Amino acid sequence: MSNSEHFANIMVQCFIEAVNNGVDLVPVVADSTSTAKIKPFIEAFPDRLVNVGIAEQVMVGTAAGLALAGKVAVTCNAAPFLISRSNEQVKVDVCYNNTNVKLFGLNSGASYGPLASTHHSIDDISVMRGFGNIKIFAPSCPIECKQIIEYAIAEQGPVYIRMDGKALPQLHSVDYNFVAGEPSLLRNGKRVVICAMGSVVHEAVDAADILKSQGIEAAVVNVSSIRPLNRCALANMLDGTKHVVSVEEHNINGGLGSVVAEVMAEQGMTAKLVRLGVQDGCYAAAGNRPYTRKMLSIDSAGIVNVCQQLVNQTSA
Amino acid sequence: MNPFQLDVDGLEKKARSIRRKIIRLNADSPAGGHTGADLSQVEIVTSLYFRLLNCAPDRVSDDTRDIYIQSKGHAAGGYYCCLAEAGYFPEEWLPTYQHNDSHLPGHPVRQKTPGVELNTGALGHGLPVAVGLALAAKRDGSSRKVYVLTGDGELAEGSNWEAALVAAHYKLDNLIVINDKNKLQLAGPTVSIMKTDPLDKKWQAFGFSVTQCDGNNVASIVETLEGLRAEGQPNVVIANTTKGAGVSFIAGRPEWHHRVPKGEEVELALKELADV
Repeated sequence: MSNSEHFANIMVQCFIEAVNNGVDLVPVVADSTSTAKIKPFIEAFPDRLVNVGIAEQVMVGTAAGLALAGKVAVTCNAAPFLISRSNEQVKVDVCYNNTNVKLFGLNSGASYGPLASTHHSIDDISVMRGFGNIKIFAPSCPIECKQIIEYAIAEQGPVYIRMDGKALPQLHSVDYNFVAGEPSLLRNGKRVVICAMGSVVHEAVDAADILKSQGIEAAVVNVSSIRPLNRCALANMLDGTKHVVSVEEHNINGGLGSVVAEVMAEQGMTAKLVRLGVQDGCYAAAGNRPYTRKMLSIDSAGIVNVCQQLVNQTSA
Repeated sequence: MNPFQLDVDGLEKKARSIRRKIIRLNADSPAGGHTGADLSQVEIVTSLYFRLLNCAPDRVSDDTRDIYIQSKGHAAGGYYCCLAEAGYFPEEWLPTYQHNDSHLPGHPVRQKTPGVELNTGALGHGLPVAVGLALAAKRDGSSRKVYVLTGDGELAEGSNWEAALVAAHYKLDNLIVINDKNKLQLAGPTVSIMKTDPLDKKWQAFGFSVTQCDGNNVASIVETLEGLRAEGQPNVVIANTTKGAGVSFIAGRPEWHHRVPKGEEVELALKELADV
């Protein structure tokens, strides 16, 4: 689509704007300049970026040190290596030390498709949720991505942003105003409520439109703010339905599916929940995005099927 | 500027006082301690806090202060005793070491203890963070120096060597790594667990300016640290120490890695550590 944008490009423009506005922002990469699409930043500010080589642990540790010295340190590299290789640096140097580091998990989920599971980050949200104070966001579209990044740069303290690796079109209108913690309702309906996170929100919206043409009113809730999360607001969006489906390009354990299950249980909701994503004990398939999503039933067709089955079960 | 600027005699007296505090602190601890590691580093932290560091208790938030990072976080007890001696927090806190909700937990926590610069305890974290601090100082044109104290067993953590590459690549001559080479770790002698020798040649190969000193001799430490002149290269000082130094029945004994003095041992140690 013509209005599609790569999140990494948005990120780099936000960095450039921040420095131009006087923010002492320092990107730290682990040879990941092309992954981060950060050439325009280097051209604008030739001596600002720090490249530590292919070494994620010291990338995160260095970022924490820069932050302790007053910089806004932003790490930009592939999400799987950030999350797994430098896990203890994220936990200790960034979270526990409460340093002003923004972690950008690029090409998250199964963005890297055929490159297989070393390159997939299907555990990043669950890992980050296990750490204390870090804020966790998963933007779904360019407008939201820009606002989340601007929020993160202005915010004091650790932030993780789950960045999809493909160009994505807009989902929100130009007057959208991201508020940390607030889920956004993209489609209305009470027969089934679909909660989605990140790039698969697009699949959820497409599914809702198909379901509507079949006479099934499905709501779509975009949960881009995992921490903080206004649990009451999410519960209100789930209230009154008998069917809830969560959709994520992530493991269902500890990710959005778990968040939704927790909120429903805590509120005493009796609706049936189906969690779509990488199932318990599984990895994502090695294949292109349509194939992988089809295998996981997180493409629009798969979501439609699950919603139809849910609705039909109670109608029968 | 350092507010104390003690000479060698003054530093030696401080070191003895800090050692006495370490004995009492560990004896009062309800959760054990790392007495051997606390004692091996005494002359190093004493020389830093009472002579070398451009830092003071009333300047813990000053952007120009030198930074000291206790990467061997398990020796928190010795670090606390030095900070208390230098006036960073009340000495009355020392008997609360490792008690519930204490200002002095079993590993350093900067949110709890004035003067602590970094939460450590997981090994191999101090040097990468120090690299970031030193890099920021370079870019800001600051005269700040960043000191980081590691153990020698700790050097098996690969993150140190990632950070060493970066420190040399970015020519961080404001970074001073001190290896407290006490030659013992949890499971026994470092040389038999995972040998790091020849340590000087390893650091040299990574692009560091390497010096060695007697890490339990304040004159040797001061002379070495004040004599660092490398330009365009990070510094490492291999401080040859004895684990448990200063107390005859603790020195060089691996069982004191995680032991604390009890009963008669406390009195015997304090007697050995009395000012003459």
